[in-house]
Amino acid sequence: MGTLGPWAATAARLLLGGVLVVAGALKMPDPAAAERAVRAYRLLPEALVGPVASGLPVVEIAVGLALLAGVCVRGAALASAVLMAVFVGAVGSAWARGLQIDCGCFGGGGQVAAGQTAYPGEVARDLGLLLVSLALARWPASRWALGGRAGTELADVR
Amino acid sequence: MSGEAKRAAARQRIAAERAAEAAAAAAAARRRRTVLGGVVAAVVLVVVLVAVVVVQTMRTSTSADAAAPANTSGNGYVVTVGQADAPVILDVYEDFQCPNCKALEDSTGSTIDDLVTAGTVQVRYHGMAFLDTDANDDYSTRALNAAAVVADTAGTEAYERFHDLLFAHQPAEGGSGLTDDQLVGYAEQAGATGAGVAADVRDLVFADWVEGAEDQASKDGVTGTPTVLVDGEELTDLSPAGLTAAVAAAQQ
Repeated sequence: MGTLGPWAATAARLLLGGVLVVAGALKMPDPAAAERAVRAYRLLPEALVGPVASGLPVVEIAVGLALLAGVCVRGAALASAVLMAVFVGAVGSAWARGLQIDCGCFGGGGQVAAGQTAYPGEVARDLGLLLVSLALARWPASRWALGGRAGTELADVR
Repeated sequence: MSGEAKRAAARQRIAAERAAEAAAAAAAARRRRTVLGGVVAAVVLVVVLVAVVVVQTMRTSTSADAAAPANTSGNGYVVTVGQADAPVILDVYEDFQCPNCKALEDSTGSTIDDLVTAGTVQVRYHGMAFLDTDANDDYSTRALNAAAVVADTAGTEAYERFHDLLFAHQPAEGGSGLTDDQLVGYAEQAGATGAGVAADVRDLVFADWVEGAEDQASKDGVTGTPTVLVDGEELTDLSPAGLTAAVAAAQQ
C-alpha cells in the first residue's frame, strides 16, 4: 500500500462516519415518524417495530462516532457494511414488492405522495457506502485515528 | 570457541530470551486492554441502547391517547359520511397538501359525492399529515387540525365541505401553505362558526390527534396518498370509471 492508502482510509472513515451520525441523529427527534418508517417496510412484526425504530439510530451513531474517532476501525467498518447490506436488502425488497415508501434513511416517516419513490438512488447510494465500508474493513490503517496501535497498523507505511 | 566467547554467546541468548518474554508480556497486556476496552464499550452501548429505546417509546406513546374530535367514528381517526346501510365502504386516505389527492378530488370527487347521495357508498375519510415543511409552516398538520376542529364543532357534513374547499384551494407544493386566517375563513364557509373555532385552529388543539392519525394510517398499512380502499381492496385506477367499476364489482 502506498502513502495515499491511509489518507484514502481516513476519507472513507470521515464519509461513512459522517453519513451514519447524521442519519442516526435525524431519526432521533421524531420517534413516531421513525416507527412509521420502519413499519412501512412491512418486514417486521409490530412488537419489533418500536425497538428497531429507536435502537437503529443509536447503533448508527455509535458506529459513526467510532469511525470518525478512528477507534476499532475494522470492527466499525464491518458493522457499517452489515448496516448498509441490511438497508440495501430492505429498500430492495420494498422496491421489489412494489411498496410506495420513502426509505426513511435520514428521518421522515416512510410515507410518500404517490409516484414519489426514489428507490434506484437510495439503493445505489447504500451499495456505494457498502463497498466503501468493505474496503475500509480490508485496509483499516488510516491517518488521524485515535485508537488502534498506530505503530503496528501503520507499520507498513512508516 | 574460547570460554570467553561462549559466555558472551550465552549472555546474548539470555538477553534475547528476556526481550522476547518482555515483548510477549507487553502484547498480552495490550490484548487484555483491548478486550477490556471492547467489553466496556459493548456494555456502554447496550446501556445507551436500552435507555434510548425506553425514552423514545415513552415519547411515542403520547399520541396514542390523544383526545379525538367529536363526530369521529371507529377508533377516533375516521370521519364517516353517507348512509350507514350503504352496501359499499370507501376508505379515503389523503393529505391536504398532496397534489395527487387534489387530482383525485378534481377528477373523481363528484363521482364519490354522487355515489354517497345515491346511498351506494359510505365514505370514511382518514386524514394524514406528512407533507409538513418549514416553507409551508407545517401546512399538512395545520390543515388536518383545522379539519378536526370543523368536525368537532359542526359535524361530518361540514368536515366534508371543508375537505372539498381545501382541495379546491390547495396551495402549491413547496409554497407557503394557506394561512391560519384562510383556514378559519374556509371553516366558517363550511359551517364551523363557533366562537372557539379560530382559536382552536391557531392553537393546534388537535396536534396530538394529528400525530395519532399518522400512526393509525401507518398501522393500517397506508404509506402513500391518495389511497382509496373499496371494501378494503386498494383501488389502483382512481379515475371516475375505475371507481364506478370497482364499486359495482364490490356490490356483486
